[in-house]
Amino acid sequence: MASAHQALPILTRANSAAGYANGAALHHQRSLSTVPSPRSAEMSQNARPARSPQPPDGDWPSNPSAKSKTSSQHSSLSAGAQRRHDPAARRPPKLRSQYPRNSTENHVEYILVASFDIDRGPVMEHQYPIAITGDGHMLAELMLPDQAHVRNQDWTIFFLHKDTSQEEDDAERRAREERRARRLRKRDRAQGVIHESDDEEEGGDLDEDWDDDVSTDSEPEGGEGPPLVYVLNLVNTKQDKTVKRGAVVKAMAICTRHPFLHIYKPLLLLALEEYFKAPVPETLAMLFEAVNQMDLSLMPKLSVLERHLLQSSDNKDLFVEKFEQMIQARIAEETGEDVADQPLDASQTPAKRPGIFRSGTKEHIQTHAAYVVPRDTHEFESKVMYKGIPIPIKVPVAVMPEIVGDFSLIKLIQNFSDAHAKSPQTFPLHPHLTTNGPNTHPIIVLINALLTQKRVIFLGHNMPSGDVAEAVLAACALASGGILRGFTRHAFPYTDLTKIDDLLNVPGFIAGVTNPTFEHHPEWWDLLCDLSSGKMKISSKIEAAPITEGLVYFQQQNPAYANLVYSSSGSGSSSNNDLTGDAAFMADILRSIATRAGERVIRSKWRAWVLKFTRIAAAFEESVYGASALYIGSDEHEANMTGPGGHGYVWADEATKAKELAGNVTRIEGWRNTRSYYSFIQDVAKLYTIRPLKGLDLAHMHDRLRTQRLTPMQSKEIYDTLAKYVHTYDEICLLLGVMPESHAGLFYLALGLFHKDRDVRVGTADLLERIAEHDAGQHWWRALSRFEKLAYVRIKREAEAEAGAGAMVTNKAQRGVAGQHDRERDGGGLSPVDSNNHNKRIS
Amino acid sequence: MGAALSISSLFGKLFGSKEVRILMLGLDAAGKTTILYKLKLNQTMTTIPTVGFNVETFTYKNIKFNMWDVGGQDKIRPLWRHYYSGTQGLVFVVDSSDHARIDEARTELHRILNDLEMSDCLLLVFANKQDVTGAMDPQRITDKLELHKLKDRPWFVQPAIAIEGEGLTEGFGWLSDNIKKMPKYGGK
Repeated sequence: MASAHQALPILTRANSAAGYANGAALHHQRSLSTVPSPRSAEMSQNARPARSPQPPDGDWPSNPSAKSKTSSQHSSLSAGAQRRHDPAARRPPKLRSQYPRNSTENHVEYILVASFDIDRGPVMEHQYPIAITGDGHMLAELMLPDQAHVRNQDWTIFFLHKDTSQEEDDAERRAREERRARRLRKRDRAQGVIHESDDEEEGGDLDEDWDDDVSTDSEPEGGEGPPLVYVLNLVNTKQDKTVKRGAVVKAMAICTRHPFLHIYKPLLLLALEEYFKAPVPETLAMLFEAVNQMDLSLMPKLSVLERHLLQSSDNKDLFVEKFEQMIQARIAEETGEDVADQPLDASQTPAKRPGIFRSGTKEHIQTHAAYVVPRDTHEFESKVMYKGIPIPIKVPVAVMPEIVGDFSLIKLIQNFSDAHAKSPQTFPLHPHLTTNGPNTHPIIVLINALLTQKRVIFLGHNMPSGDVAEAVLAACALASGGILRGFTRHAFPYTDLTKIDDLLNVPGFIAGVTNPTFEHHPEWWDLLCDLSSGKMKISSKIEAAPITEGLVYFQQQNPAYANLVYSSSGSGSSSNNDLTGDAAFMADILRSIATRAGERVIRSKWRAWVLKFTRIAAAFEESVYGASALYIGSDEHEANMTGPGGHGYVWADEATKAKELAGNVTRIEGWRNTRSYYSFIQDVAKLYTIRPLKGLDLAHMHDRLRTQRLTPMQSKEIYDTLAKYVHTYDEICLLLGVMPESHAGLFYLALGLFHKDRDVRVGTADLLERIAEHDAGQHWWRALSRFEKLAYVRIKREAEAEAGAGAMVTNKAQRGVAGQHDRERDGGGLSPVDSNNHNKRIS
Repeated sequence: MGAALSISSLFGKLFGSKEVRILMLGLDAAGKTTILYKLKLNQTMTTIPTVGFNVETFTYKNIKFNMWDVGGQDKIRPLWRHYYSGTQGLVFVVDSSDHARIDEARTELHRILNDLEMSDCLLLVFANKQDVTGAMDPQRITDKLELHKLKDRPWFVQPAIAIEGEGLTEGFGWLSDNIKKMPKYGGK
């Protein structure tokens, strides 16, 4: 094992070499200690105290309210009135490319080739352009997975923790400081403070601060270190009578920092074939050049809120405007028009040029247009030229944290549900895992294990290692939901016995293996998921869950429900009734899969589950510990708000709440003190600094409309608040985020059109109008029923009649009615805006 | 249903269909994989170097053997120890014609046997490739491997020609007989 041990020292920060993912061990101490990380030290004051943290002070670098209104963020809610007619605030932020053309960053950083030497075992043959690590042997072992000799072809995936060099770090810090200084100058200038150096960098990009911290392609890593290097590896075994011992086994790998590494599969197939013919470094160089020529510069960059919307929507047209604008800007650039000074916003969109078509349409094929809008806005279409052959590539547009590679949640869920349905599994009890008793659904056991940071192994004996890697990636996505982090960083999509010592240094890992020897070592894992049999096994050597303060407090505070809480003796009655709601949830998921719901639908349901879990955890902490760092903004509300207060998850009544908390106590307590818990606290704090409408919990308000019986006064408060505060582009994004199309969309909001109070009706109609004009909101508007749209038109007309002289309103209402007739013919819905030009703004 | 179950489990006890875990080790190119598939499929396969391991299950003399064959290149030999736990029998395969590496084979064999987890297991040595001219005979292999130094451990050296299947049943016959005597297996 000496070789594997030697792999570890190269992971240290001072050294710019790479190490295998096991090096994650080095980060653990840090992530589990009280100060989350040196990089986000400034955050720790928000993240740590048990009392609900105060909002960060106003000079936080990325604060959009400061940029848009030049006032401190505390006034962000009272500024609604003056923004009401500010068209600039309604515009989407300026468009930028995710991967600009002039970027010096390569898509792919290294190409590697390894082979199985009949005398020496796995050896590294070539690394291009330079050696990624001095310890080629360690990598070569991973590139030649167990039993590669029994199949002709196999894929593996593994992650490397490669630290950036000192120089790269410095350069990055300098760039950040520069941007920050520029922002401060900008703000000072807006407040009337003049700097001598003001002339320079006039073109500084104000929107940069929005995505500087949260929505760059390098996701916030929670101070856990630099982005991972993802490795996609293809291994081929060729029988060859002419060589000694009859076969040649070679593997080629692509190392990239983009999480969408699966797009390179066709290229690796071609390049490895080529390498068998020409085993020279030039073959690697050719692939390296080809993939790095890939042009993704027309892929628009989305803000974090926009990405959330795109991710949870099934709509193939969502944000299509952005793609069109990117192309228009490019065409303008090429035809020599001066667009440099013109901000690319929707209100100035020139008439649609001929030549911009959706991919796959008749027009596109007929005209051979140079630029094309993707047929589905979730995927950007590009191509790589390899040896003169164009290889089509589809790159995901909205990349969420912890979503790496290509996998299927449906496949993972079915793998373990089918076996469970045939012969239900009875688990030995563990408070963190079997939250619904011995018959807890295996998928719930799995997600509980991941949340409470257990050691999870996926075993696929006699399966391609690519299949187990896929299961690991799916499990990470399942537990993350795009919300929680800290799973992929401790995932080993494929590993084997050579790395076992390093693996065991990682507390709470998710690993994929094909070697059944792992099953014989229950001391190595807590949960073993056998992909071939579809059964899960809780280790006989799993550590018992400690009795925690939170659990005891909860039982003291809620004596009536104390006996519902899971006890280690198994006497809790949680097994009988579905306190957590997980049994119902799994039934719903399986029903959706059975009715052929797509992968996106299932992912968005899991996302909702994870979100609900975090909100329940926040409610639990507030009730048991008096405060929670999982939600920020309650103090903000008290300080600045009128109107309905309140935040957090909403239950129909107190008894329901107590029961659901009782069912969740053990796993929430198990989640506290894990990596994903701490990084979530950091993310909450970070997101808080950039999100609009601080102090308003839109999800809470929407939940109340959805689940509670409200008096007209109570619902009026909510509708009034929404109508009063939700105006800007980002605010509407935020609002849409809490009412996904798959979860009734605008339905509960539109109920405000039927409120008995006239002001509520008018206010709601105005808000719906703003939503309908919104790039994303238009799709939500279209999903409203005719009944609701008619009510909208009627209210608008009434308001217009009363106002008498409101010319603008008249036009709009008429247009709405006209649209109604048009749409009726088209079979579409009513629209408050000109349906032929959805980009048109009313200013 | 219940009766049927209890009868079959009774038969299991009587005839010993209990699974026995066997680990097959040896230097690279000794013939381990060839032996495994000869036993499993009774046919000679053209084998290529094992990346990692092979594992197969077969029944012989009413004993269900769960046999592991682990790759033998020197760089991957440190992994052998992970397969020790729960192993009841070690099959050590030697290329009898490889005079140059017989000492290396001895060192590896004694390293395995010295491990605590292997203290109770049987040892069967296949002196393979007897058909090659100049191959060492079983006695010479016994001496070279210093098997007489072993105390309290049943061991047996079986000459074999794996590609012909010669000697394999004899070797596993010895293994079966001795397994039935092991306390774990309900023997005396």
